[in-house]
Amino acid sequence: MQNNDFIYVGLSLFFGLLFQIVPIAGFTAYWRPQFLLIITIYWLFRNPSQYGVGFAWLIGITLDIFAGEMYGRYAIGFSFCAYILTILSKRLQHFTLLHQSLLIFFVVLLNQILVVSVSVLYRPSWDFIALIAPAITSAIIWPILLLSFNKICNR
Amino acid sequence: MLILIFVASSLLLIDTTTQWLKPLRAVFSGVVTPIQALTLFPNWADEMISDVSSSSSLKEKNKLQNTELLILKARLQKMAELSSENLRLRNLLHASELLKNNVLVAELIGVSPDPLSHTILINRGEDYEVFKGQAVLDSEGLMGQVIEVYKSSSRVLLISDSLHAMPVKISRNDVRSIAEGNGSYGNLTLRHVTSSSDIIIGDLLVSSGLGKRYPAGYPVGWITSIDKIKGSPYLNVNIKPTAQLDRSRYLLLVSQSVEKFGVGQDAK
Repeated sequence: MQNNDFIYVGLSLFFGLLFQIVPIAGFTAYWRPQFLLIITIYWLFRNPSQYGVGFAWLIGITLDIFAGEMYGRYAIGFSFCAYILTILSKRLQHFTLLHQSLLIFFVVLLNQILVVSVSVLYRPSWDFIALIAPAITSAIIWPILLLSFNKICNR
Repeated sequence: MLILIFVASSLLLIDTTTQWLKPLRAVFSGVVTPIQALTLFPNWADEMISDVSSSSSLKEKNKLQNTELLILKARLQKMAELSSENLRLRNLLHASELLKNNVLVAELIGVSPDPLSHTILINRGEDYEVFKGQAVLDSEGLMGQVIEVYKSSSRVLLISDSLHAMPVKISRNDVRSIAEGNGSYGNLTLRHVTSSSDIIIGDLLVSSGLGKRYPAGYPVGWITSIDKIKGSPYLNVNIKPTAQLDRSRYLLLVSQSVEKFGVGQDAK
């Protein structure tokens, strides 16, 4: 099981990255869920002893490289979110799906606030919807992702 | 945890304030470009499906393209006459140089995942002698400029990005201004237009060529609204870009070369 995990982790993150960077036209781009972040969170939930802050940092810096603008901002956002989740990890095991979705909403919101506030240091404009929209869609997509991943990995 | 945050923050600081990470970016572009290109799979699939379209639709398409070709050819005839007239007039003014624009076709391979940043990745780089600052067009108008050049790809900043501003003029009367991006694809704004300036809704703005970044005369946008703000000496002017900033897939890279003519040629 443990050995198989690596394949699943790699594949899921690769597809998460693809979904994260696939071009979306215009305004819809704001509503793209943070696929890569919630897939990272899934692995943090599943195996907190193995995947931690460092893992999230690595995924974040990978996304930074693909975004190609400022290196380090997704790394900050991802590792900060991962830190909070590792502190809470004992309690999270008992959360219901709805509670988890709510938590994902706030975690993604935190990530967006960090990422956007870093970009505001250098870019004059920002948009409230850029903070809230990915958090909403990520929270909606979380139960689907969790259940389908559980089904695939527990086979 | 703290160490990682520190490393990320210092990376950020280095990246935004210095050029030290530039070689690193060039290295990573080799990995990024093929994976970015992979995300265009839906487009390839779409093209493949439309390639296998029926002969009747192909015939129809062919007919349409033939009429379009005819119209364009007719326009070109007029262009030939106009450009020769332009040449004669320039000769009279003793202007000895004519700018000639060379065009390179590029394809879009990636869009920034951050909706606040309007940058795109195209599939031409150092191999095709793309240079930093080169103007990028689509079939309708100006799109933006190249900001980073890698081995076989380059990054383009669109005119709608909030970091971007460009000198423009109104084609009707040559009134100059600055068009600024504000982070939305369908809207640019004009900076510091006084309420007395001769400007009306529907005016076409073209690049003015000042600033030596963009070649002059390419369409940028149409003026869609002019609002007077109480207490401000300036007008609030909105522009709709002529280029389809969030839709175009095939782009043109323009470079200028100077062609000598006129006085020099006559002397020979």
